[in-house]
Amino acid sequence: MGCGMVLAVLLFIIVIAALALGRSYNRLVRLQQTVDQSWAQVQNVYQRRADLIPNLVNTVSGAANFEKSTLVEVTNARASVGRVQLDPNKAPTDAAQLEQFQAAQGQLSNALSRLLVVVERYPELRANQNFLSLQAQLEGTENRISVERGNFNTAVQNYNVAVRSFPTNLIEGLLGFPPRPFFTAQTGAERPPPVQFNFGTPAPAPAATASP
Amino acid sequence: MAVSRLENAIQLLVAALAFAVASAASAVEGIPPKPDRYFNDYAGVVSKEAAYRFNEQLAQFERETSDQVVVAVFPKMQSNSDIADYTQRVAQAWGVGQKERRNGVVLFVFVQDRKMFIQVGYGLEGALPDITAFDITEYQIKPLFRNGNYEGGLATGIDLICKAIRGEYKGSGKTAEERRGSGNVFGILPFILFVLVLIVISRVMRRLGGYGYSSRRDGPIFFPVGGGGSSSGGGGFSGFSGGGGSFGGGGAGSSW
Repeated sequence: MGCGMVLAVLLFIIVIAALALGRSYNRLVRLQQTVDQSWAQVQNVYQRRADLIPNLVNTVSGAANFEKSTLVEVTNARASVGRVQLDPNKAPTDAAQLEQFQAAQGQLSNALSRLLVVVERYPELRANQNFLSLQAQLEGTENRISVERGNFNTAVQNYNVAVRSFPTNLIEGLLGFPPRPFFTAQTGAERPPPVQFNFGTPAPAPAATASP
Repeated sequence: MAVSRLENAIQLLVAALAFAVASAASAVEGIPPKPDRYFNDYAGVVSKEAAYRFNEQLAQFERETSDQVVVAVFPKMQSNSDIADYTQRVAQAWGVGQKERRNGVVLFVFVQDRKMFIQVGYGLEGALPDITAFDITEYQIKPLFRNGNYEGGLATGIDLICKAIRGEYKGSGKTAEERRGSGNVFGILPFILFVLVLIVISRVMRRLGGYGYSSRRDGPIFFPVGGGGSSSGGGGFSGFSGGGGSFGGGGAGSSW
């Protein structure tokens, strides 16, 4: 009688545990799926930006004596982005890998924003329809990048929370659901960029203004 | 192993911090509540008649194409973020566009900031690419806004947006709000049936001399009729309700 009771209780516990395990497994699969999906979107928008660059470089270099160093920088950054290829269908599990990807893309972002600043000095470009169209597309792509990065981070956060929550964290290794790295703010983004007004004249001695 | 645990802990801490910062930022930033119309002039820059006309035009456009085009004119932006960033979050929160087609467009205008932005839902990025959106704001709306002609600028903007995206999808002849309204009627049908059945049962019971209502309760019975008719907004406006569309940052804007 007692033995049967114990057996029944044990069986009950096992069934409950199996059910709970199955449920959290399914949940993890779903969350992981979402992470991978949003990663694909991230890759997609970065690819879109990379695809715009040859056209942009061609248009800009058509302008009379355009500053070559800026263009070279953009082209090089584009090439290094091409070298850091991650699987577009599966979100990276290695933080270093994502970091490398982010660094390459960040370099390209910097080069592009410098290019757009330099362009301000070329009125013929700013009146060029083709260039204006490219600029609008580039801006739109940057907006999309920031949206998709945000979506990706949210997806990873939901997934990581699920992986590290109580019953799941005990069996996380068993089921094969490692926590995923997410995008961080770019190094230096917390500092505002220095603003320099250089109008081609030697800077006068700063006026001694009283500090507030 | 210990190192990776530490790393995990640090990562969690960073995430928590980022979340705290984000929530602090959102305390400053205000996401306006969902509008109940297609054309929403919170800044009072166009006449009542024009607002009504625009609203009906956009409601009709949804009936024909299922695309939801919303115009929101605010006095000021309630955020320190970039306009593209902020309006994407607002449009996403409002859920403009049908859920599967993701075919929403929102034209945001911030009068005092002298800025506007067209947010384009995922499903219309092909029909209304960034360059077209930029064209509309920069070369069509901006000159009119500069002259203080808000009504003309908005009319032009609405026409051009609708022209660009017409033909991408086919409508069902009803807006999301109208569908929801009819859905509600179906929603309360079982309830009405249930009440009717109860009444019948109680009468039968009483006739059988069983327990139940006393004869004093034989007065009028109130039916919960018309609970689902939340269709139109105030004053005969066609009401708007978002279909759950999503936005990926497509679109463009200008300042004037």
